[in-house]
This record gives sequence, C-alpha cells and structure tokens, in this order.
Amino acid sequence: MATMRLPSGTYHQTYQQDQAWWQTRFVWLRMIGLLFILLVFIPLWMPVLFPDIGLYVVSVANLIGYTILSAMGVQLLIGYAGQLTLGHSAFIAVGGYTSAICMLMFGIPYPITIILAALTAGLWSMLFGLPSVRVKGYYLIMTTMAAQFITVDFIITQYVAQIGGRGQAFSIPPGTITFGPIEIDNDIKVYYLMIALVIACMVFVGNLLRTRVGRAWLAIRDNDIAAEVLGVNVVRYKLAAYFVGGALGGIAGSFWITSIYAVSPEHFTWSWSLWVVGVILIGGVGSLYGTVFGAMFMTLVPEILRFAVAPLQPVFPQLMTNFQFLKESVFGLSIVLFLLYEPKGLAYRWWQIKNYLHLWPFSY
Amino acid sequence: MPDHDDGVQLQVQNVYMAFGGVGALKGIHLRVRQGEIFSIIGPNGAGKTVMLNCISGLYKPQRGKILFEGKDITSLRPYQRARLGFSRTFQKIELFRGMTVLDNIRLGRHLHLHANLWSGGLYFGRAEREEIANREFIEREIIDLLEITHIRNQVVGMLPYGLQKRVELARALALQPRLLILDEPMAGLTLEEVEDMARFILDVNEDPKWRVTCILVEHDMGVVMDISHQVAVLNFGEKIADGKPDEIQRDERVHHAYLGEKEDLYVTRR
Repeated sequence: MATMRLPSGTYHQTYQQDQAWWQTRFVWLRMIGLLFILLVFIPLWMPVLFPDIGLYVVSVANLIGYTILSAMGVQLLIGYAGQLTLGHSAFIAVGGYTSAICMLMFGIPYPITIILAALTAGLWSMLFGLPSVRVKGYYLIMTTMAAQFITVDFIITQYVAQIGGRGQAFSIPPGTITFGPIEIDNDIKVYYLMIALVIACMVFVGNLLRTRVGRAWLAIRDNDIAAEVLGVNVVRYKLAAYFVGGALGGIAGSFWITSIYAVSPEHFTWSWSLWVVGVILIGGVGSLYGTVFGAMFMTLVPEILRFAVAPLQPVFPQLMTNFQFLKESVFGLSIVLFLLYEPKGLAYRWWQIKNYLHLWPFSY
Repeated sequence: MPDHDDGVQLQVQNVYMAFGGVGALKGIHLRVRQGEIFSIIGPNGAGKTVMLNCISGLYKPQRGKILFEGKDITSLRPYQRARLGFSRTFQKIELFRGMTVLDNIRLGRHLHLHANLWSGGLYFGRAEREEIANREFIEREIIDLLEITHIRNQVVGMLPYGLQKRVELARALALQPRLLILDEPMAGLTLEEVEDMARFILDVNEDPKWRVTCILVEHDMGVVMDISHQVAVLNFGEKIADGKPDEIQRDERVHHAYLGEKEDLYVTRR
C-alpha cells in the first residue's frame, strides 16, 4: 500500500512531520474521536443509555480486545516476519499460567506479572522458533503445532496444572487481581485494562515496524537472501520476531485471566490458535489495523448470528443446540469467501474506501 | 583512473566450486585493486554469478581463499561481510517487493542504525532522532544521486523494471559500501537507462565522497569496455584472460570463447 497523498494545502516542512503517524488535522480529530468513543462512550455512557445491552457490549468489547492481543503476535510473525505459526495458544497459555502462578504462589502484584508473563512466553516462543533457522513454510507449521501440543497438552496439563495439588484448574479468588489500589473485579475495569494493553501493544509494534528491527523483519519476509547480503543477521532477527510474537501472546494470556475465574488448559485450545490465524487472514495479513478489523469481524459475526437466530427458535428448535456447529460453519465459510473475494483482507478495503473519500468527488 | 600499482583490496585465490559433478569454478585467481571498476565477463554459464556469490558469501567455495584487505573472509557469512563494507545487487531483482522505495533504501542503512527492540518500540528520543537523521542522509546522498525523488513513496513491486534496477542500486549504496558487487545492472534496460546506470556507477566510483570499488558482471560489452579499469574473462569455470579492456579486446582466446567469431564481441545493442 503506497503512502497516502496529502490533501491539497497541507505541506510538510520537516522529515519529522513526514514520518509522523497522524499527519493531518483531520486524522488527529478522527483519532481523538475514536479515543473518546473507546474511553468514555462505550464503558461509561453505553451502560447508562442502553441499560439492557450496555454491559453486554462492554463484555463483547473485552472479547474483541483479547482476540486483538492474541492475534497481534500472530500478525507480527506471519504478517511481518513471514514465519508461519499455528500454535500461538501455547504462548498465551504460558503467559496466563505465569501470571497466575506468580500472583497465587509468590504474591507478586498483577502489573509486574504481566511483564513476567510476556518475558516467559517470549523466551518459550523463541525456543520453538529455533527450527525456523533451518526450515521454512509448511515444515514450520508442523514445528509450531508441536509447540501447542507439547506446551498445553503435555507440560501444562500433566505438570503445571498439578502444582500445589490444585487439580486441573488454578482458581483465582476474587481480589487477587489488583492494579495498584484498584481491584479489577468487573467488566468495565477489565475493559479499561484491555484498552490500555491494546493501545500499548499497538504503539509498541507500530514503532518497531518503523525502525530498524521491524524493517529487518519485513526484509526477511520479502527476501531473506537480500536481507542477509545487506547486513541483517537473519537468524537473530527471526528469533527476535518469535520473542516479540510470543511476548505479545503472553500479554494476551495474562490479560485473559482477569476475565476467567480459574485458569485451566481448556482455555488455550488449538482451535484458538487457528482462530487467530483466521483473524489475520480476514483482517489483512501484514496490517496492524487488519488485526483489529479481523478481531472485530470474527467476534461480532457469531454474536450477531446469535441475535439473528433467536427469533427463529420457535420454528427450528434444534437451531440453538446446534449453534456451535453453525458458528464453526460460518467461520469456515467466511474464510473461504474472504480468500476468494477479499484476499488482501478488510484492511485493504478500508484503505480503498479512505482513498476514495480522500479524492472524492473527483476521483481521478 | 587510479594508479594500478596501489593496494589490492580483494583477492580471490584458487577458488574451486562444483555443483555435483559440474565444475562451476575451477581454480580462479582474481586481484581487485582499491578504487577500480573490475569487470568479469564471459559467455552464459561461465561461472560469473557463482563467482560473485562466492565473493559476497552466499556460496562457500570448496577450495581456495578469499581475502579482503589482507584478511581471510572465506568462512564469513554474508551479513558479516556486509559489516566489512560489502554490498551487492542481483541479476534477477531481489528487492523487498512489499515495501516502499524509501523503506527499501532504509533497510540498506540497517548497519548504520542502532535502535534495538526496546528503544525502537518506544521510539522516544534517540530512535526518533536516528530515524530523522537517517532520512536526511538518504534524501541528500542517495535519492538525489540516483534521481529517484519522484518514486520515493511508491511500492517497489509496482515500478517499471528500469526503476527497480535503480532502486536496487540505491539500496546497495545506502550501506555506504567499500566494495560494490553489481550483477548485470544493465540487463534488460533501454539504451537511455543503460547510459544512466553507467553514469551512476562512474559517479560512485569517482566521486571522492564515495570512491567505491566496483565488481561488475555485465553482458553489454560496450559498457564494460568503456567504464572498466580491469576485465577478467571466464569460460566454463576457468579464467582465460585478465587485463585492461584494450588488451582483452585484442585477445584471441576471448574471441574464441565468444562463439569463435571476431565480430560478435563487438555486437552490442548500440
């Protein structure tokens, strides 16, 4: 995607302006508007204005946020560094468990455990990134799938989940998760935590992508031989990509334990690994916004379907019982349709719309 | 023209390389002096590109040594050679197709930047100043020199072939190399673009700011004979001649290698 042209009458005088994220006053206004909606409208006004669905919207937003955080690491690995991964749940699980263990067994405050979870998951991910030095493409799918099965189905289920004789689940008593003096105990507080984490991660990844490290990743994705000839230590940057990808997964896992009452291996299934790959395929591979669009699409479609099928309940009584099946079918169908009709993802369509409006009404 | 008695910068000693039973290079010796344009010519399949890949580190020769400024670099990886000042372009364009022209050139500056995972992710202070200074260098030294101002924000995959070749040269130059390896930079260009490309190569070779040693593989004999200081001729993995362009033009063995017909050496697109 080429850089967008500036509207007439706006000129840049420094490279600083030219390399800024938000370059025009319109974009600034739009972003401030968006922040207002995210920080004030959805969490504070929605529950008051629409008491019957307001909190439901917040909880759906939390799910979207979790999906974004989960998919961001996958986006970084597949979309930017070009390293396939099909076992990202493993690193989310490592993050979730690290956070839970640190809080329950060592009494470490929650904000610090987020950082520890990111580091542990990053290092764990780097371990499974090692095969990427030797293998590419389809073979890498197998080694990353191994990450899922070794980590979640073997190590966590067999050993980690048994720590302290707690059985299969680490229950998190109310009041464990606090952020300074604030106890994170309802959806709205979780929502603010989610917004903070999503924005922090997006800014961090976005900044990485416009500096040396991120460019090295893009170079490895597009042409690893040329990258190496130009001085990029390919092995090191691949491992760095796995580290950051895994660390983002760890943050996602660490966030998710605020929304569940007990951490157990069933939360980190292989289907979630596939789901987040679907998120970036639909949103747009290699686009940070694409992750957000994809996460919204993949979360909202099943929710909307749920509303859509409710009136049909009297006519087709089996519909609700088969809803899981229906959801999976729509998931599969939407991926097929997207690959056929929108191979560049929602982010590309968004870019086209912006471009069209940009030149409207004289689109030549 | 530089004085041909001064220091040898790159030395290829008895390099031998075989793929299966096919000997691609059979004991090649080359001496490239500081600041010269050194051309390697030869018919198709003579081993020119294999030679370049050995020099830039993509292939490791089975026998023989490669010395750069007196140091044995035979076992160094390509990115380690880049740190010594090697840079190259490719016969088939190997740009980062999904990135813009500017980002391609920025990647060429990789070794001159210092941001790491942490400072790059935060982007405050040093990382930002570094990016701005880097942009200034690219605009002043690279984009101006190669006359690609008008396409700097375009994605390279969409550019015409001639411009892509130029962007590839820009990316290689961004590294501020001491040794520039050019694999057929003129292949597939129009006459005008060939002249531009030859001018750029001469610029970076002669401008005191750059003074880059160039190793050039090229089929366009007119260009090779015009701009080279030294020419080596390969044929079926063996070096059959080595010398100044006018010596090569008179060499009988070279004429035989090129289809055995005298005229063919001079048949170019001009």
